[in-house]
Amino acid sequence: MHMIVSRFLRVFLLTGLAAVSFGSAITALATEEGLLALQYDVTGKRLFKIEANQLFQRADEGMTWNAIPLPEDVNEGQLRAVSVPSTDPQALYIAGPSIGVQRSTDNGETWQELSANLPSREVTALAVHRRQNETLYAVIEEDGIYQSEDAGTTWKKMDSGPSQKINRLVHSDMEGSMQTGWLYGVSDDAVRLSMDCFCGWRPTGALDAGSVYDVAYSLGNPKRVYVVTQQGLWRSETGGQEWQQVAGDGTELVALTLSAKDTLYGLNQKGELLHSEDEGQSWTYPDA
Amino acid sequence: MRKHCFFTASWLTLMVVGHAMAEDRPFSSDTPQLEDGKRVYRQYCASCHGTQGEGMPNWEEQNALGELPAPPHGPEGHTWKHSDAMLYRIIAEGWRDPWNKTDRLTMPAYQEVLAPSEIRDVVNYLKILWTQEQRRHQADESIENPFPIQTGIPPE
Repeated sequence: MHMIVSRFLRVFLLTGLAAVSFGSAITALATEEGLLALQYDVTGKRLFKIEANQLFQRADEGMTWNAIPLPEDVNEGQLRAVSVPSTDPQALYIAGPSIGVQRSTDNGETWQELSANLPSREVTALAVHRRQNETLYAVIEEDGIYQSEDAGTTWKKMDSGPSQKINRLVHSDMEGSMQTGWLYGVSDDAVRLSMDCFCGWRPTGALDAGSVYDVAYSLGNPKRVYVVTQQGLWRSETGGQEWQQVAGDGTELVALTLSAKDTLYGLNQKGELLHSEDEGQSWTYPDA
Repeated sequence: MRKHCFFTASWLTLMVVGHAMAEDRPFSSDTPQLEDGKRVYRQYCASCHGTQGEGMPNWEEQNALGELPAPPHGPEGHTWKHSDAMLYRIIAEGWRDPWNKTDRLTMPAYQEVLAPSEIRDVVNYLKILWTQEQRRHQADESIENPFPIQTGIPPE
């Protein structure tokens, strides 16, 4: 009897370990696929996509993605972020580990390295201020968040950041901040929020949804925020204080952005573009 | 002999000051304005922010009503990240965290209680709690956002 119980316990434990390992593998896979990124350019009315360490653009009414030339050192790094100022059609920023922060003002023909005053090029996330074209925020792995107010010429460390690694950073002009706005930091486990004076990171509302991939908000109504997770799309009408799951059509997304007209754009795990005109309830391929 | 004592005392003073600066210790609060700031702080601020500016326990966590406990003012807090103008405004007008679901302000307003010079003194008093690097950062932030100009008081 003792042997039967002990064998049962062994099998039970091994099964548990296997399940945990499998869960970790799923998370890692999702994290890898999180390298896909999507960004809407309000001024240029175009979309940017990061896929397989390349940067693509397409007009939001367009049908094809066109590759943007990147500096050679991107091949040695991991392209993670693309960000564009809201009223400067010329500037385009990219960032990633071993890439640092780089800027192009001629749509990728030439690039300028902006990491000279950063402590390292291990940048995991980048955001441009919603209203201030020359204010940038860069997350340096295992260090913190740096701010530049002169388009990347000089940087100042502002915060050590939350203890969890930030994969995505988004600046919002939602009201209520002591300073000029807010920063959403997306980590694997949650979305966190800080005023852009960096007075502490607070978790957004309860979001029991597995891995978190991306966050986006309505430019016309910044309190409306969307987040894509392992368990689908969630929406908040309170800047992230509470989340409600969007009863959608089961489309799985890993990246998200909104146009100025509140069209939601998302990328699935294959990097295919989908869009939604009904606040994320149904998704279709724009090419279809 | 007297010369020798004076030289030794000066040298010791310089050593102590230099050592304190090298270790990034706060500077002294024994000027009349800072003494005023300390008095105001102890009377109006210390009950929430702590006598030594240590803040309330769990100050980084909002409670169920969305209220944030009073934060510390020392190096571990975030007071040093705000310009003089912002700190003045928060003390004068108070501040409401947008996630606060109560009727109370998160930080009460003191413009009916404290004179402008007292608000300015208490902000300057808080600066003794910061590291040199934090003071430099806050001074940079305050270049374009200084205290509001008051009649009869020269701007810093």
